[in-house]
Amino acid sequence: MSKEVELDCMGEACPVPLIKCEKALEGMDVGDVLICQIDHSCAMKNVPEWAREQGHNVEIEEVDDGEWEVIIEKVK
Amino acid sequence: MREKKRERYDVVIIGGGAAGLTAAIYCGRARLNTLLIEKGLIGGLATYTNEIENFPGFPEGSTGLGLMEKFHAQAKKFGVRFKGTDVKEVNFDGEWKEVHTFRNIFESRAVIIASGGRPRTTGAINEKDYLFDKGISFCATCDAAANEGKTVMIIGSGDAAIEEGMFLSKFAGEVIVSVIHDEGKMDCNEIAKEQGLNNPKMTFVWNTMVNAFKGDGHMDTVELKNLKTGKMTDYKVDTCFEFIGYIPNTEIFKEKVTLNKQEYIPTNELMETGVPGIFAAGDVRDKELKQVATAVGDGAIAGVGTEKYIADCDVFEKQIMQAEKPGFIYIYSAIDDPSRELLPMMTEIERSFGGKVKMSVIDIYKGKRLCDRLVCDVEPMTIFYTLNGELVATETDCDLPHVEKRLNKLLAMA
Repeated sequence: MSKEVELDCMGEACPVPLIKCEKALEGMDVGDVLICQIDHSCAMKNVPEWAREQGHNVEIEEVDDGEWEVIIEKVK
Repeated sequence: MREKKRERYDVVIIGGGAAGLTAAIYCGRARLNTLLIEKGLIGGLATYTNEIENFPGFPEGSTGLGLMEKFHAQAKKFGVRFKGTDVKEVNFDGEWKEVHTFRNIFESRAVIIASGGRPRTTGAINEKDYLFDKGISFCATCDAAANEGKTVMIIGSGDAAIEEGMFLSKFAGEVIVSVIHDEGKMDCNEIAKEQGLNNPKMTFVWNTMVNAFKGDGHMDTVELKNLKTGKMTDYKVDTCFEFIGYIPNTEIFKEKVTLNKQEYIPTNELMETGVPGIFAAGDVRDKELKQVATAVGDGAIAGVGTEKYIADCDVFEKQIMQAEKPGFIYIYSAIDDPSRELLPMMTEIERSFGGKVKMSVIDIYKGKRLCDRLVCDVEPMTIFYTLNGELVATETDCDLPHVEKRLNKLLAMA
């Protein structure tokens, strides 16, 4: 059964969210989903870019003005 | 496999460039429950352009990104929902269309395809570093004025390459054209070829292709490789324009809508694709001029078309194909006198049945689309009979006794 993990990166500036996401995803299984909460517009760009380059499935959702969830499904 | 969550909307728009955002503004403003899905940056290809000077209403010009942020804000104001992800698959078969992403299946009555396209690139060394606003351009209309008196290079020899090259020669001091073929052989039409070869500002470098792009931050040198000799030659240029084709983003729509030979989506002037409820707008469409201004026009038409389509769905299901009573649908035309003159008689028939049958009328002159949902090419003075929301008969006999007899038969079946 795949699981969903939430990762709170609110208030954190680049490159902290990206590093936290990389670490979190390392410990997860294929099919698991990481939901990274961010409010730094730079992370809104570099986290999805990195995840897509890695070949993962990515979705960005603007939860509130200037707050996003980057949803990453580990595919390999 | 995780189960995908299903969500329902009135309309799903695929692609958040100028066409998709404009369609979203129109749909949102028409109070449709609207979802827009964009896989990259909201704003699409226009965000790669540093300076947009030909979009009306901005005499001081605007950056592509700045202009698209305004489109985005306006769509948000009208309550449009946004998802930043890829569309993996679509299914347009049923009355509810499906758009699949990796987490969701979105169901909607209508879908607007505004997925745009991307310019084909050469794949040369360092090309990625200079794309769009750092020296490699794909749009002469966009970047000609910025190259007044400068030296530019064109890659390609098709119609677009040579015609855009001639346009650029009105601005640039020198236009160098790299052609992959032997001297004198070009992919463009003969007229363009002759004009290009005789243009004093255009020089041609035959048997060449780009090996690498160079420059510190901004591209300033194109290294061409001679395919016959293998010799490399550097050309100092201010901008390099690549015209080696354009690839529409239609991979997921193959066999779902009709595509033309180049895999663009042909539409009529109402942006309809031929599949009911599926519209296409912007660069993904088979069209002449790909600009923000034309994408906006397409988006507006598709948005309004969607609104009408969904309104028709409601009228069709809730009134015309109602299931409560046996029904008859009288087709007339506002510009056909005999069919119009029968209207009072039809109303009288409905009244004489004392509420046991329900009459609907469709004016084919205004509501051809509604008729098309029943059957194609229907003539005025046709009557459709329905029972339990299903069509049971289509007849052209509009005589009073006949219609009454037919309705009595329906009541007996009910």
